[in-house]
Amino acid sequence: MEFTTTGMLNEDGIHVDMDRLKKGEVNLGTSIMAVTFKDGVILGADSRTTTGAYIANRVTDKLTRVHDTIWCCRSGSAADTQAVADIVQYQLGLYATRNGKNPTTQTAASIFQEICYANKDRLSAGLIIAGWDERHGGQVYSIPLGGSLHKQAYAIGGSGSTYIYGYCDAHWREGMEEAEAVDFVKGALREAIKWDGSSGGVIRMVVLTEQGADRHLYLPDTDYKVRHY
Amino acid sequence: MAGFDFTNYNRNAALHARGVPLPKATSTGTTIVGCIFDGGVVIAADTRATSGPIVADKNCEKLHYIAPQIWCAGAGTAADTEFTTAIISSNLELHALSTGRKPRVVTCMTMLKQHLFRYQGHIGAYLVVAGVDPTGVHLFTVHAHGSTDKLPYVTMGSGSLAAMSVFESQWKPNLGRDDAVKLCSDAILSGIFNDLGSGSNVDVAVITADKTELKRGFVRPNERSAKLKSYAFPKGTTAVLNEKIISKNDIGRYVSVTEVSVGEEAMEIDA
Amino acid sequence: MTSIGTGYDLSNSIFSPDGRNFQVEYAVKAVENGGTSIGIRCKDGVVLAVEKVIASKLWRPGANKRIATIDRHLGAVYSGMIPDGRHFVDRARDEARAWRDTWKSPIPTADLASRMGGYLQAYTLYSSVRPFGITAIVAGFDPSQPSPVDGEVGRGPSVGPGGVKEGLTHGGPGLYMIEPSGLYWGYYGAATGKGRQAAKAELEKLDLAGEGISLEQGVKEAARIIYVAHDDNKDKEFELEMSWISDVDGPTKGRHEEVPRAVREEAERLAKKALDDDDEEEGKKDDEKMEE
Repeated sequence: MEFTTTGMLNEDGIHVDMDRLKKGEVNLGTSIMAVTFKDGVILGADSRTTTGAYIANRVTDKLTRVHDTIWCCRSGSAADTQAVADIVQYQLGLYATRNGKNPTTQTAASIFQEICYANKDRLSAGLIIAGWDERHGGQVYSIPLGGSLHKQAYAIGGSGSTYIYGYCDAHWREGMEEAEAVDFVKGALREAIKWDGSSGGVIRMVVLTEQGADRHLYLPDTDYKVRHY
Repeated sequence: MAGFDFTNYNRNAALHARGVPLPKATSTGTTIVGCIFDGGVVIAADTRATSGPIVADKNCEKLHYIAPQIWCAGAGTAADTEFTTAIISSNLELHALSTGRKPRVVTCMTMLKQHLFRYQGHIGAYLVVAGVDPTGVHLFTVHAHGSTDKLPYVTMGSGSLAAMSVFESQWKPNLGRDDAVKLCSDAILSGIFNDLGSGSNVDVAVITADKTELKRGFVRPNERSAKLKSYAFPKGTTAVLNEKIISKNDIGRYVSVTEVSVGEEAMEIDA
Repeated sequence: MTSIGTGYDLSNSIFSPDGRNFQVEYAVKAVENGGTSIGIRCKDGVVLAVEKVIASKLWRPGANKRIATIDRHLGAVYSGMIPDGRHFVDRARDEARAWRDTWKSPIPTADLASRMGGYLQAYTLYSSVRPFGITAIVAGFDPSQPSPVDGEVGRGPSVGPGGVKEGLTHGGPGLYMIEPSGLYWGYYGAATGKGRQAAKAELEKLDLAGEGISLEQGVKEAARIIYVAHDDNKDKEFELEMSWISDVDGPTKGRHEEVPRAVREEAERLAKKALDDDDEEEGKKDDEKMEE
């Protein structure tokens, strides 16, 4: 098995491997985002998983539950992000039973960060953690490649996000109603899917509020207009 | 110490740099598929094993037993799929014994993904995991690096593109058992005929709540037919141009020659 | 003592037939001879105070601190064997650090009390160890306002979060007392050591569970109670040591700190005055009696 090195110096200059994926690894060339709104937070993602040029899964669920009202959006290596999310899910379950109270989004974000930072040389994982708890309301944390932790009002990530910085900056507003926030996420992801070749398929969302987690699904067949469940 | 020892890898890399060809592991070319139907799940595989451009085995088994009602189809490195499924099967049986419950497909899938993730893709096992347990019917794919997917129909291996084209054009919701078997074997046939790495026969396993049926050689589209004529040539077909006889004494100057007694104690050379 | 000669007091981890662990009970005796320690849980903070009996004229005033800081927001004081108390503090600091490493946030006072309770309890189980010869009082203030995760980059968004549940209060003052057996309870007012009976009597008069008192008032009461508790032990000199913890918007900004010298001296002045007034009142009564 061959491995790509993270960087090397040849006669013709320095070569840096940007995507840091191992050969043949399953990649989430992705558009993901999470947005705070009036009553909580919404996570959104496309559904494309690729191995090289082949779409290994066209209906992937990149929104992963780590606790009842704490979820994460995964981008980068599918194996790495699934492994990290599984560990965090276990840790938060343990926290809840041991302390008799639900973990906060901060707690979840700090566990994610610890793992991502300690293993930064081994992981290619770009994560967005979003959750609702009664003390802090809806919160969004972003953990990019190096393992730093950023608290944000909204966060976008994955290869498709580069196309929608302008869209999000222009359309995001503080304290949106749920329907407005859903439209904002959907509009942004439509653009990301449209322009990014590595993003595509359906749009999935999860709405996190005091009422719990509510899933949304929008299909390209209906131009992402109709909610399917 | 745990993990792999890379000293031989380094030696092989050094030899390779000096022009020595590296030995080839057996089989990456494969078509494996799986499909859920009402009340159960079907998995299927071709039976070709390759070693580089050579067909190493024309009728190998790529459907691996995990538990009575959980089976795996394997692609990738043959030894890795064989040993990975065997170790997980063993651990899952011990787990079932200690919990006193039937093993679950998600448990199997989780054990596989954690095992494969630990080895960071060095274990080249690409698996379709299928089964029926008390929680229902399940179908997963597990990639060598440890990522998993849950889908109603799946394909893997070099023939996965050919096989997927069959599913994408013919799959529909709420299939019956026979329809699912037909769809899976058609998908494998597509791999056998269109993918160089896949070939020979179609093996199928059908898992339902009450039993598992393994259909070895479900389709045999590549039976070797009888030769239309004999290709044995009569003696003397090739003309003898010259002849030179080397005596035992002569050859004894270069190698040591020992007499082998002919009879009961004869050494069996091509046994 | 009933146990003498029965042998059941010789080893930890052995019950007496009537279900007692004598080693733990002897540890309590060690505590009962120590200088008085108290804690008061006020509405807006917690006060710790200790009567430091001066065993030598050569001790430098203000040195040899008895109240320790466990974490930024946590303090502890103890009565009994001082070295055992020092080890208790070391362990508590380790627990607080471990919690921060794991959860990237300060350990809640209740959780620290739970951890330390479990730690002390383990020293009642084995024949190779003896129980701690201290009763510790742990005080803390869990922030009422959300604080950032340790290691977070930047200050976060300027906009507030949506969907915060209204009408809930979070955090607040915490006070726990942990005994040699590992038993611990939460308290409004806690006292241990030689003068605990007198101190408890005074604490009960304060209505801490009902109306409650302010932190500022708590400091004065704490000083007075230590002076009252010392009253029966008048022949020995003592020094008053006090610490306090308020919320982030209070005088200590959420930290556990020694009470500033000026505040302490004022509290001591009032404490001495209150004692003198009491004496006078008693004297008056005596006078009246004599007149009869």
